[in-house]
Amino acid sequence: MINKKIFSILLLHLLAITTFGQSSDADFMSSIGKIYVVVAVIAAVFVGIVIFLVYLDRKLTKLEDQIKEHD
Amino acid sequence: MMRSNWWKFLGVAIIMYTFIAGILVPLKPGIVAVSPSSTRTGETLEMEIQGYNSNFKRGEDSLRAWLKLDDQHALRAVQLKAIDDQNLQLTFQIPPYLPARERIKDMTLIVDNSIDGASFLPSAVFVTQDSIDPDMGTQVWRNEAIVDLNETAGITFPFRNILKETIRNTYFHVALWLSMVLIFIGSVVQSVKYLRTNNIEADLKALSLTRVGTIFGFLGLITGAIWAKNTWGAYWSWDVKQNMTAIALLIYCAYFVLRSSFEDQEKSARLGAVYNIFAFAALIPLIYVIPRLTDSLHPGAGGNPALGGEDLDNTMRMVFYPAVIGWTLFGLWMASLWYRADRLENQLLER
Repeated sequence: MINKKIFSILLLHLLAITTFGQSSDADFMSSIGKIYVVVAVIAAVFVGIVIFLVYLDRKLTKLEDQIKEHD
Repeated sequence: MMRSNWWKFLGVAIIMYTFIAGILVPLKPGIVAVSPSSTRTGETLEMEIQGYNSNFKRGEDSLRAWLKLDDQHALRAVQLKAIDDQNLQLTFQIPPYLPARERIKDMTLIVDNSIDGASFLPSAVFVTQDSIDPDMGTQVWRNEAIVDLNETAGITFPFRNILKETIRNTYFHVALWLSMVLIFIGSVVQSVKYLRTNNIEADLKALSLTRVGTIFGFLGLITGAIWAKNTWGAYWSWDVKQNMTAIALLIYCAYFVLRSSFEDQEKSARLGAVYNIFAFAALIPLIYVIPRLTDSLHPGAGGNPALGGEDLDNTMRMVFYPAVIGWTLFGLWMASLWYRADRLENQLLER
């Protein structure tokens, strides 16, 4: 449960950072030859992999609980 | 989905290589903006040029510039003054007549020096003709042939004026799509295998591969939207490529809904396998055929070549194709983890 809380806080932070980067300052995204667009794309891929890990984590937790019940 | 690990490390190592090479290799010097971008015949045109990654000051000795009308007609700058490495002042004498029939004619700007090599900006200047007389234009034209252009020193990625550094997204956004297709192909192979052998493990493999393929697809859609926001101006332009890929992904989402709506595992596996084959058969025309038939903002559509020309040169290929292999191996790793968890769950249920 603590894990879930930490994760949701992290996710909220991430959302706050990305929305700040995109909506409040369009000049920021187009500065230095639009390099921050590349940063945002890589960050999005990373978040996708993290979401995959969270799902897998939950599935394995469920399996562990089942094994515990079985024993 | 074996126990040996070398391919996982290989995938990660290749992705690391694409991150390092894809970020560190600089862009080729290019021209970002010119002002003014229009003039009239017979005038002296004084232009301010803004360069990107350029070395106008350092390469001032070998600096040359032309305005190119067409293959036979080029005009050389009469005066060049480098203010700094990024800013350049050019002076052109536009002749009173142009050898062209159009009232407004666009000219390509070419700037060349020994460090940056040659940079091009198509349609940099629009010249309005006060009176049109192509024969007169041919007579008064003093042609300055564009010769001995320099090559850019070192390894660089192409400079595209609208893309700039975002051309590097090719290694993340485009590579994810291609590896998604490869992973879906693997999934179809496993589904066919299941239908032929009735081995439930093949179906579980197909399920995991489809999951990872769908994740990659959604990542491709999201990264594409971020890229589109900063090149086309909106996250979602209702472009045919965006719409068709969204439909294709929804078809794949229906696969998971379909599977989970059956209690009986064998029924769910059988219908899932058949549906998966049809979903793949729909995917290819949706994302690769239909966008090519109409106009689209996206490269690879409406006669606009993808994976070629200036969008992907040989330097970029050295990063792009490894990126596809790396992400495919990484996706297989992700799928194998999920498959092993699924198989454990099955074994627990049987106990």
